[in-house]
Amino acid sequence: MPAKDDKKLKVPDKKTKSKDNTLTIHVNINSSRVSSRILEERIQQAVENGARNLHVIADGQHGIGGRIWPRNEAVRISVEGPVGQRLGSMAMFGTEIVVDGSVSDDVGWINCGARITVLGDVTNGAHNAAAEGFLYVQGGGGARCDTMTKQNPRFDPPQSWYFRDVGDSFAEFKAGGIAVVCGVNPRNPENILGYRPCVGMVGGAIYFRGKIKGYSEINVKQLDLTPQDWEWLTVNMKPFLEAVGRNSFYDELTRSADEWKKLIAYTPAEKKTWKKLKMLTSDFSREIWEAEVGKGGIFAQYINHDRTILPYITIGVERRNKPVWNNEKYLPPCVYNCPTHIPTHKRASLIRQGKMKEALSLVLRYSPLPATVCGQICPNLCMHGCTRGLLDRPLNIKELGGMALKLPAPKPAQKTGRKVAVIGGGPAGLSVAWQLGLKGHGVDLYEAENRLGGKIELCIPRERLPHKILVKEISRFKEVGITAHLGKRINQKAFEKIYKGHDIVIVACGAHQPRRLTFPGSGDTIAAIDFLKGINSGKDFNLKGRNVVVIGAGNAGMDVASEAMNCGAASVTAVDIQKPAAFGIEMEMAKGKGVDISWPRFTEKYDKKAKKIYFKDGASLAADLVVMSVGEVPVLDFLPLSVHTEKGWIEVSEFGQTLDVKVFAIGDATSAGLVTHAIGQGRVAADVIHAQLMQYDYMPEVKQVVPYEKIRMEYYDLCSFEGFEPKKEAELCMSCATCRDCHMCEAACYHGAIKRVGHKDGSYEYIVDDDKCIGCGFCAGVCPCGVWEMVENI
Amino acid sequence: MEPAARLDHNHQLSLGEFPYIIRWREDRCKRCGGCTAVCPVKAIEPAVKVVRTVSTEAPIPTPAVTKKIVHVVEQVTDIDRYCTGCGTCMLVCPNEAIEPEYNPHNKLLHFKNKGGDAYKRGGRRNDPSISTLDRLKFTRISMLTDPALDAGRHEFRIRTFLGRNLPPDSLPLETRDGRLVVKKDGVFVPPVREIYPIMIGSMSIGALSPPMWEGLAMGVTYLNEVENMPVVMCSGEGGMPPGLLKSRFLKYFILQIASGYFGWDEIIHALPHMVEDPCAIEIKYGQGAKPGDGGLLMSYKVLSLIASIRGVPMYVDLASPPTHQTKYSIEEAVAKMIQSMSMAWGFRVPVYPKISGSKTATSVLNNLARNPYAAALSIDGEDGGTGAAYNVSMDKMGHPIASNVRDCYLDLVRQGKQNELPLIASGGVGKKGNLASNAAALIMLGASAVSIGKYIMQAAADCLGDEYNRCNLCNTGRCPRGITTQDPRLYRRLDPDKVAERVVDVFKSADIELRKTFAPMGRSTELPIGMSDGLSINDKSMAERLNIDYAC
Ligand code: SF4
Ligand code: SF4
Ligand code: SF4
Ligand code: SF4
Repeated sequence: MPAKDDKKLKVPDKKTKSKDNTLTIHVNINSSRVSSRILEERIQQAVENGARNLHVIADGQHGIGGRIWPRNEAVRISVEGPVGQRLGSMAMFGTEIVVDGSVSDDVGWINCGARITVLGDVTNGAHNAAAEGFLYVQGGGGARCDTMTKQNPRFDPPQSWYFRDVGDSFAEFKAGGIAVVCGVNPRNPENILGYRPCVGMVGGAIYFRGKIKGYSEINVKQLDLTPQDWEWLTVNMKPFLEAVGRNSFYDELTRSADEWKKLIAYTPAEKKTWKKLKMLTSDFSREIWEAEVGKGGIFAQYINHDRTILPYITIGVERRNKPVWNNEKYLPPCVYNCPTHIPTHKRASLIRQGKMKEALSLVLRYSPLPATVCGQICPNLCMHGCTRGLLDRPLNIKELGGMALKLPAPKPAQKTGRKVAVIGGGPAGLSVAWQLGLKGHGVDLYEAENRLGGKIELCIPRERLPHKILVKEISRFKEVGITAHLGKRINQKAFEKIYKGHDIVIVACGAHQPRRLTFPGSGDTIAAIDFLKGINSGKDFNLKGRNVVVIGAGNAGMDVASEAMNCGAASVTAVDIQKPAAFGIEMEMAKGKGVDISWPRFTEKYDKKAKKIYFKDGASLAADLVVMSVGEVPVLDFLPLSVHTEKGWIEVSEFGQTLDVKVFAIGDATSAGLVTHAIGQGRVAADVIHAQLMQYDYMPEVKQVVPYEKIRMEYYDLCSFEGFEPKKEAELCMSCATCRDCHMCEAACYHGAIKRVGHKDGSYEYIVDDDKCIGCGFCAGVCPCGVWEMVENI
Repeated sequence: MEPAARLDHNHQLSLGEFPYIIRWREDRCKRCGGCTAVCPVKAIEPAVKVVRTVSTEAPIPTPAVTKKIVHVVEQVTDIDRYCTGCGTCMLVCPNEAIEPEYNPHNKLLHFKNKGGDAYKRGGRRNDPSISTLDRLKFTRISMLTDPALDAGRHEFRIRTFLGRNLPPDSLPLETRDGRLVVKKDGVFVPPVREIYPIMIGSMSIGALSPPMWEGLAMGVTYLNEVENMPVVMCSGEGGMPPGLLKSRFLKYFILQIASGYFGWDEIIHALPHMVEDPCAIEIKYGQGAKPGDGGLLMSYKVLSLIASIRGVPMYVDLASPPTHQTKYSIEEAVAKMIQSMSMAWGFRVPVYPKISGSKTATSVLNNLARNPYAAALSIDGEDGGTGAAYNVSMDKMGHPIASNVRDCYLDLVRQGKQNELPLIASGGVGKKGNLASNAAALIMLGASAVSIGKYIMQAAADCLGDEYNRCNLCNTGRCPRGITTQDPRLYRRLDPDKVAERVVDVFKSADIELRKTFAPMGRSTELPIGMSDGLSINDKSMAERLNIDYAC
C-alpha cells in the first residue's frame, strides 16, 4: 500500500540483495548477554552506518527494531531467538521486521508504520496503541490485543492480522484501524475473539471468521460484510498470507464472504438515538407487570376512576375547588344587626336602579313605623354594623327611614277569612297587626289606652319623637284594615272571649307596671313610666326651680331627666348603683341639658319633708321629686293557665309562640327590649302565625352575617360629600353578600367560565360552566360583594 | 376587654414571620388563576388592590390623582395556610409571574401551634447542613499499588447478602467419600438472599399514593426482570395488594410488619396462594425520623383502597403504637417476632428487625447476634423521612446513622461476627443527591446494604420537599406531586410508568457510580463492607469517632 503522506522511500528489492549485505547482530558476546540498551545502541549505530538488512539473534531484549529512521530507505530486520516485550514498538514507516517464532507482550506498541511479521504467536497486548503499519501474526494473539489502536487521518489505518484467534479483552477502546482474525484452527473453536471484546471501542473495524461469544454491545455492532469489505479483505489477504507463509489457505479463507462477519463501533450519532432503556416502562407495565399481577395493575380492583394522568390545572369534577354563586346566602351586617331585619342594601340597590318609590316602600313590608323608629328613636343598630363604616362612615339609614313618612300603606293581600286578635297597640302589637293585616287576615287590635302607640305614644319624650310623625304613621294602619278597639283593658274574662273568637291571639301588652325599690320613703317617689306618661299627656309636675333625682340611669331614666329639665328643674341628678346603662341619643340629650349622672349610689332613704335623699355612703342630695326608673314588668293577670310565665314574663319560643300554640307573645311582655326588637318580633311572629293559619310548614331562615373580609372595600372611594341625598347615599352601599350585578366576576374569569343569565321575571343569576372553570377563585377574590364562594368540589 | 370593632392589624402576622414569601409580579401575571387553583394550602388567593398615584407634570404644583383598582394574587397571613414554598404555583404559572422565596428569618415554629396543637408535618429533619455521610471521602485510590479496576471494562458484582451467613466452621458440611457435601437432617441453614446493596425502604401503601407505590414496585420489578439487578423494596406497614402477594414478583419485596400489624391478616389469607416467598420480612420497631413515635394514617387517607388492603373499615384513624404491645423486653420482642415470622414461611425467609438509630442499637445487635434466626439488623438514622410526625420528633430525636452503624459494625468485628449478621443502614442516604457515594460510605463503614426513601421520592417523582421545610405536606393528604395522597385528583398527576422509569434510571446510574467508586479502590467482586481504610474525613474528631482516617 502506498503511503498517503509525502514519505518517499526507495524500497530495495529483497530478491536482489545478496546474503552478504546482511549484518548479523549477536546479543551474546563471549557468552554474556548484552542488555536491551546496548542492543538498541548497536542496531541504531548499524543503521546509521548504512546497514539496511539486519539479522538479530535475540535473547529476551526489549523493544527490538523500534525507532529506526532509515532516511528514505527500507530497513529489514529479521529476528531469531527469544525476544522480549515491545518488539517493534514505536517502529517507523520503512521498517520491516520479521520474527522467526513467537514474540512476547506489546509487539508493535505505538506502531508508526512498520510492517511486523511474526511467524509464531503474539502474547498479550499486541499492536496496542498502533497508529499505522502492519502486524501479521502467523498464529494467535494473547489478551488485550489491538487495544487502543487508532487512525491518524494523515496516514493509512493500522492493520492487524491474526491467522488463528485472539485472547480476552480484544480491541478494547479501539479507536481506528482494522483487525482481521482468520479463525483458522482456533484454540477455542467456540470463541475466537475471547471474553468481552470491544469494550469502549469507538472506531475501526474487526473482520473475523468463526464463532464468538458476545462482545460489548453498547460499543459495537456485528454486521455482514459489504462487497467493499469483501474486496478489501480478499485483496489484503494475499500479502498477509504470503508474509506468514500460508498462501495455501487463500482459497479457504476467501471462499465465501458469508463465513466472515465484522464488528464496527456505533457512531456517536447512532448512540444519541438510542433509547435509554432496554424496554419502555410503559411496555413493561403492560406486557410483564400486568400480565402477572392482573390487568390494570395491583390497585385496579380498588379504584373506580380512569387510569389516565391528570394535569395540574383541571376542570369539571376533577377540580379541587369550585365556585358557588351564593347570592344572599349571608345577611349584610345592617340587616343582621337590625332586629327588624330591614333590607337596607336592597333599598340602596333599588335607588341605584332609579326605583326610588319601590326603594322607599320596601321598608313598610318590614316595619309599619319606619319614620318613627328608624328615623327617630332607634339607636340604628344597622348603622353600627354597616361595613361601610369600616371604610369611612356608615350609610345614613336613619334618614332613609325618615323618608318613609309620607308613604301610603301597601295594599293588603286578599282576605283569608282568618281572624287574629292582638292585645296591645304598642310597637310590638302594631307590628304584628300590620304584618298580619297585610297578609289578608282579619285583625282585632285591643288597646287599653285611647290612643295607639303604647310607650312610644305615652312615654317617649316628644322632643325625641315629634308627635306628628307618630300620628302620621299610625294613620296608615287604617289602610290595612285593622280594627282597633281602643280603651279596652283586657281581663281574664275578656281574654277568654277573645281567645274563643279568634284563630290566634297575640299578647303584646308591653310592660307597664313599674318596678320599685323599697327603702324608707320609697312610697314618696314616683315611677318613671307615670312621670313620662304624665308629661306626654300634658300634666304639670311643677318642677320649676326644683331639684329632681332619678334613681336608675338607664335610657328611660335619661328621658325622665331630660323631661324634668325641660320642665324647668334647677337640677336633675340621675343615680345608679352601677355604670349607667344609658347610651346614645337619650344619654347625650340629658347630658346636654345639664343632667348630672352619679354612680355608684345606693339609696338609703328619701325624706320627703326634708326634700333630701340619702345614700348608703353617707352622701345626700336635695330632692323635691324622686323618680324611680328601674324598669317595668308586664301585667299578665288576664292570661289563662295554658300560657306559661316565668318570673313575671311570658315564656315564648324564638318565634314568639307560648306554650299554648294558639297564643303568641311579643315585645316587652316577654322581655324588655328596644322598640325595634318589638317590631322585629312582631314581624317574625307574623310569619310563623301566617304559616300556621295557612297550614304550611315554615321555619324562619336563620342566616349568618357576612364576614367583613368578604367585602372588597377597595373598589370604593372614600365618601366626600356632606349632607343627605338618597342617590348619593345609595352609592355608598357596598351591597354586602348581595350581587350588585356589576359583571366583575364575568370579566375577571380568564377562562370565560362565568355567564350572567337573565330570567323572565327580571331576576338573574350568574352561572359557572364547569367544563371551563379551573377553580382558581378569581371570581370569589374579586367580587365586590362577597357573593362567590369557593367550596370543596365533592 | 372589648374586642376591636374595626378590622385592623392587631394580632395579625406579618409576612415576615412566614417561611416562604410569595414573589408575584404584577407586570407578568395575566390573572389566569393557575397558581391559586393548584396551591395545596390555599396560601395565595386573588384579591383586589387600590393603586393610587399623585403626580404633577406642570411647572408649578398641579396635582393629578389617578386611581386604579387592580386584581392581584396575594399571599394570606393565616398561619394555618402558610406558604410551604412547594412551588406548585411556580410550576403551573404560564408567565413565570410567581415564585416562593425562602425567608431565613421566619418564625414558623413560634406560631405553628394554633389551638395548642404541636406542629405536625411530613418529610424530613429540617437540617440543611452537610451530613457526615456527605463529608466522607474515598481516599484510598489504587493506582500502582494494587490493580485499580476500570469501572467500564470490568464486570462488577455489586451484590450483598441479606440473611445470616454462617461462619465456615459451622456450615452444615461434611466430607463423605472424600467429597464435601451438605449435611442432611437436623441442621438449620439460614435463608440468605443475594440482593443489590441499595434497596427501597419501607413506605407503606397509604403513606404513598397508589401510582407512587405501584411505580416503585414496577421499577424494582423491571430492574430484576429486565436489567438483572436484584433490587428489592420493602412494603412498609400496611400490607400489599393480593395481586402482588400472589405473583411471582413477590420475591422482590420485603414484607414489613409493624406494631399495628395492618394488612397482616390479609397477607396470611394470601399465604396458601403464594407462588414465591417474599425476599424477607422486616419487623419494624422504630423509624429514624420519629424514634419512639408510632405511625398514624389519618382517617381521610383511609379510603376503600387502603381499608381493603389493610383489612380495616374506611374513614378511621389508623394508629400504629410506638411499641409492639405484647413485647416486654428485647429478648422477648426479638425472639417472639422473629420466630413467628420465620414460621409463617417455614423458616425459608430471612427475618430481621428495623430500629431507629439510637445509642442502644448495639444492645439490640448483640441480642440478635445470639439469635440464630435473626437475619440482619436494619438501623434507620435521624435523617430518615416520614409521612407524618411531630416536628419535634423529626427535628430533635434520633441518632445519626454514620456513627451508629459504625459502632455496630465494630462491635461485630470484636466478636468476629462481622460477616455473619448484615447491617442495613438508612436515614439520609442521598440527602444532597449523592446516592451512590453515601451508600458506598455506609458500606465501607460497615453496612451490608443501605435503604432509601426520601431520595427515591425526590428522584423518581420529584417530591418537592427539602430540609428548608419546603412542602413537607405529606401528612395533609394534599401532596402536590401526588406522592403521598389518596386523593385521586392529586395522585393522578403521577404516572406510575414514569415513576418506574425513574427508578430504573436511578438504580442504573447509581450502579455506575458505585462502580466508579469501588473500581479505583480495587474492589469489584466483593462489596467493600467495612473497608474503612478507604475512607477519610476532614474533621479530626469525626475521624476519631468513626475510627477512620483524617485527611485534609
Ligand atoms: S362580581 Fe359583581 S356580578 Fe359578580 S357576583 Fe359579585 S356582585 Fe355579582
Ligand atoms: S409555593 Fe406552594 S404553598 Fe406557596 S403559594 Fe405556591 S403553591 Fe401555595
Ligand atoms: S398562574 Fe401566573 S399568570 Fe396565572 S394568575 Fe397565577 S401568577 Fe398570574
Ligand atoms: S411533594 Fe409530596 S411527598 Fe414531597 S414533601 Fe411535598 S407532600 Fe411530601
